[in-house]
Amino acid sequence: MDIWFIVSNTILLACIYGTLAIGISITWSSLGLLNLAYGFIFAFAGYGAWLFAQHVSTSGPAVLAAGILAGALGGVIICAVGFIPIHDKPNFTIRGLIATLAINLIGTQFLLWWFGPRSKSLPEIFGNWSLSLPGMVFTADKVGNVVTSVLILAIVLRWMQSSRRGLEIRAMMMNPHAASIVGIGVRRTSFYVMGITGGLAGLAAVLLSQTYYISPFGGLMPMIKGVSIALCGGLGSVRGAVIAAIVLGLNEALTGISIGGRYVLITQFVVIIVILLLRPRGIAGLLDKAREA
Amino acid sequence: MSIDRGIKWRNPLFVWGGKRDVEELATIPFRSHQEIWGGTRRSATKLNAVGRLRYYYKWPGHGEAMWNRLRYWPTRRRVLRLRGEYNPKTLRAEKTIVDKRPIWWMLGLLALAIAPLFTPADLQNTLLTAGATFGIYAAISLCWMLIMGTAGVFSLATYAVVGTAAFVTALLAVKFALPWWLLPPIGALVGLVFGGIIALPATRLDGFYYALLTLGLNELCRVYFVTSKEFGSANGGLYGATTYIPEDWSQLGQLLLAYYACFGLMLLALVLYRFVNGRRLGRILRMAPEKREAFAEATGVNFRQARVWVFLISSAALGFIGGFYTSNFGGVAFSIFNFDTVLLGLAMLVIGGVGRAEGAVVGTLIVVFFDQVLNTWGPARFMIIGLIMLLVVLYLRNGLFGIKAQFRAWRDKKKSERRSTRAEKGGEMLPEEATETEDKSVIYQRRHDKMTRDHLKTLVSPEIIEEHRHSLNGQHSEALERLLIYFRTRPQVEKYAIMAVERFEGYRIVALSGHRGVAPRVVEDRIYSTPDEACHGVFMRRVQDLLES
Repeated sequence: MDIWFIVSNTILLACIYGTLAIGISITWSSLGLLNLAYGFIFAFAGYGAWLFAQHVSTSGPAVLAAGILAGALGGVIICAVGFIPIHDKPNFTIRGLIATLAINLIGTQFLLWWFGPRSKSLPEIFGNWSLSLPGMVFTADKVGNVVTSVLILAIVLRWMQSSRRGLEIRAMMMNPHAASIVGIGVRRTSFYVMGITGGLAGLAAVLLSQTYYISPFGGLMPMIKGVSIALCGGLGSVRGAVIAAIVLGLNEALTGISIGGRYVLITQFVVIIVILLLRPRGIAGLLDKAREA
Repeated sequence: MSIDRGIKWRNPLFVWGGKRDVEELATIPFRSHQEIWGGTRRSATKLNAVGRLRYYYKWPGHGEAMWNRLRYWPTRRRVLRLRGEYNPKTLRAEKTIVDKRPIWWMLGLLALAIAPLFTPADLQNTLLTAGATFGIYAAISLCWMLIMGTAGVFSLATYAVVGTAAFVTALLAVKFALPWWLLPPIGALVGLVFGGIIALPATRLDGFYYALLTLGLNELCRVYFVTSKEFGSANGGLYGATTYIPEDWSQLGQLLLAYYACFGLMLLALVLYRFVNGRRLGRILRMAPEKREAFAEATGVNFRQARVWVFLISSAALGFIGGFYTSNFGGVAFSIFNFDTVLLGLAMLVIGGVGRAEGAVVGTLIVVFFDQVLNTWGPARFMIIGLIMLLVVLYLRNGLFGIKAQFRAWRDKKKSERRSTRAEKGGEMLPEEATETEDKSVIYQRRHDKMTRDHLKTLVSPEIIEEHRHSLNGQHSEALERLLIYFRTRPQVEKYAIMAVERFEGYRIVALSGHRGVAPRVVEDRIYSTPDEACHGVFMRRVQDLLES
C-alpha cells in the first residue's frame, strides 16, 4: 500500500469536496436555505464550460472562468426562483428544501432534453505534464486541481473576511434577524451568497470534469458528497467543513484501496452516522450554536 | 354675502320697546345639522357582499332519528361526525354533517373500484398498468406520509427501503423458488431490519439534518446493488421471481387482477395510516410538533420513542410493499433507486399536502398520471411534474388540500384589512386609543362633540358677530343662540372670565384654571373700558377657539 498515493488522493478529494461543502454550508447558515439544487448548478456549470469550450475558446483558464461564471448564474437563477418568493413565508425551511429539489428535477431533465443523454468532456485545463519526485508522480490535473481549488477558496474566504459584502454575509450567518435590523438587505445579500456558492460549484464542476465526464445527472454524486461533508462538519462552519472534507477524503482513499470502490458510500455513511451520533450538530457545530431554522 | 341676499332676523321682543332692541338684523340662512351628521355617517369605502358563513345542509331529524348514529362495530366510533341540534329560530330538529371527508373518501374509492369498467378499449392496457402502479405508489406514499407527516422525520430513504426489500426478496425468490405469498412478509422483515439501522441516527438528529443524511442513501443502495454480482449487474434489474398473476389467464384478466391487488394494497396502507395516525402514536406526536418538542418532553410525552415506533412500523410496511412489488412485477429494476424516483415520490406528497392521507393519494394520482399515461412525452413530463411541485411549494402553504385553510386565512386577513379601512369615521380617537379606553361612551361623546363643532363652524359669520356685538343679552337669532349655548356648556377648565381691573373703567379677560386654589391666568394685555366690550371680547376668543379646534 502506497502511503503517498493515499495522501495525495485524500488531498485531492478533500479539496474538491471541501469546495462543494463550503458552498452548501455558507448558503444554509446565511440564508437558511438547504440548497439541494446543487447537483443542477453543478451540471449547469459543466455544460456552460463545455459550450464555451465548443464555441469560444479552449484555453484552460478561460474555460475555468466560464464554468465559474455559469455556476454563479445557476446560483442566481436558483435564488430568484426558489429563494426570493418564499423566504419570508411560513414554513420556509422545508418549503425551500422542496423548492430546490423541484428545481433540481426540472433543471436536470431540461439538460437531458436539451443536450441529450450522451456525456461531454472538457479539454484538459492544466495541460498534460507530470511532475516526478522520488517515490511519487504528480500528474497535471491533480496538481492543478489542488492548487486551483485552494487558491480560489482562499480568495473567497479572504474576500468574506475583508470586504463590505463579505461582512454583510458574515453578519447574516451570525444572526440573520439582527442583520436585517441593522439594514443588511436579505434579498440583495442572498444574490451575492448564491452567486458565490454557485461559482464554487462551477469551479468544482470544471475541476471534477478532468476526471469524470459532464452529464445531466453527474451533479448528483458530488452534491451528496458535499451535503454529507457539510452535515458532518457542522452546517455553517467553514473550519468544520474543511476537517470533515479531510476525514471523508481519507476514508474514501482508504476504502478505495482496501476493500474496493463500491463500498465507498457505505463506509462514508457509517463514518457520518458515527460522527453524528457523537456530535448531532457535526464536528464543529455545538448544539446551542446551531442556526434556528 | 348674505347681507346682499337680504336675509333678516326679526326680533320678536321689539314690540315691547326695549331700549337697545332693533326690529331687524341681517343674519345667515338656516343650515341643518343633519348635513354634517349624514356626511360623517357616509363612508367612501366600498362594501363587498362577500360570503363569510359556512353553509351546511341541515338534514331533518326527529325524535330518535336525531340521536341515531352509525358506529363501527364493536367500537363506539362513529362513521360520520353528526351534530344534532334545534334550530334556535324555528325550533326545528336538524342534523348537520360536521365532517364530510368520509363521504368523499367512499365516493373516491368507489370510483377507483369501478374505474376499470369504464376504460376505453384502446387505452385499457396503459390505464390498467398505470392503475396498478398507482396502487403501489399510493401505498408507498401513505407510509412515507406516516414518516414525514406523523413522525415529522424528513426522511428521503423511503425508496431505498422499498428497493432493498424488493431486491432481497427477488433474490431469495429466484434462488430458493419461494412462493409469491411469502415475499411480502419476508420483505417486511427486511424493511424492519433496514429501518432499524437507519432509525438509529433519527433519535438524535432533527428533521432537516436527517434529510441531508438520507439524501445519499438511495445512491448508496444503487451503487451497491448495481455493482454486486448476485443482483444481476448486467440486465438493469433482477427478474424471474414468482408472481401471483396466473400465466394462463387472458391479458385483460391479468391486468384486472393486478389492478385490484394493488388497489387492495392501497386500502391496507390506508388502514395502517388510520391506525397509526389516528390513534395513540399519532396523538402523542401531534402533541410534539416541530419546535415544541421541549414542551412536550417537559410534560412527560416520550415523543422520541413514538417517532422511532412510527418509523419502524412504516419501514416494515414499506418492506412489505417492496415484497409485493417483486411478486407483482416478477422482479425489480435498478431505476427504483434513481434520484428522480425519490423526487417524484416527494412530489406526490408535496402536491397533495404533507400530513394528510388524501393528499398522498391524490398527489400520487396526479404524478402517476403524468408519469405513466403520458409516457411518450419523454423528459417533458418530469419537467411538468417538477413545475407543478415548484408552483405548489411556492404558492401553497400545504399542498392542494391546504388550499381551503389557506384561502380562509387569506379571506380573514382581507376582511380585517377592510374593517380597518372602514374605520375612517369618528376620527376623534385613534384606533389604539379607542380599544384601550375603558368607557366606550367617551368615544361616542367625542364623535358627537366633533360633529357639533363641525356644524357650529359653519354658522360663524360676520353677521352673527355683528349681531352679538349689538345685543349681548336678550333674544338672538337661531344661529347665534346655538353658538352661545355651546359656549356656555363648555367645562370649567379654560373657561374665560372677566376681571375688573378698576371698576367701571378697566376690564380684562382671564382664563379659569378649573382647579380650586389655582388662580386664573391672564390671556391678553388688552384692557376693555366697559363690561359689554369685554363680554364681546370673550365671545370673540371663544369663536376663535372653536374655529381652531
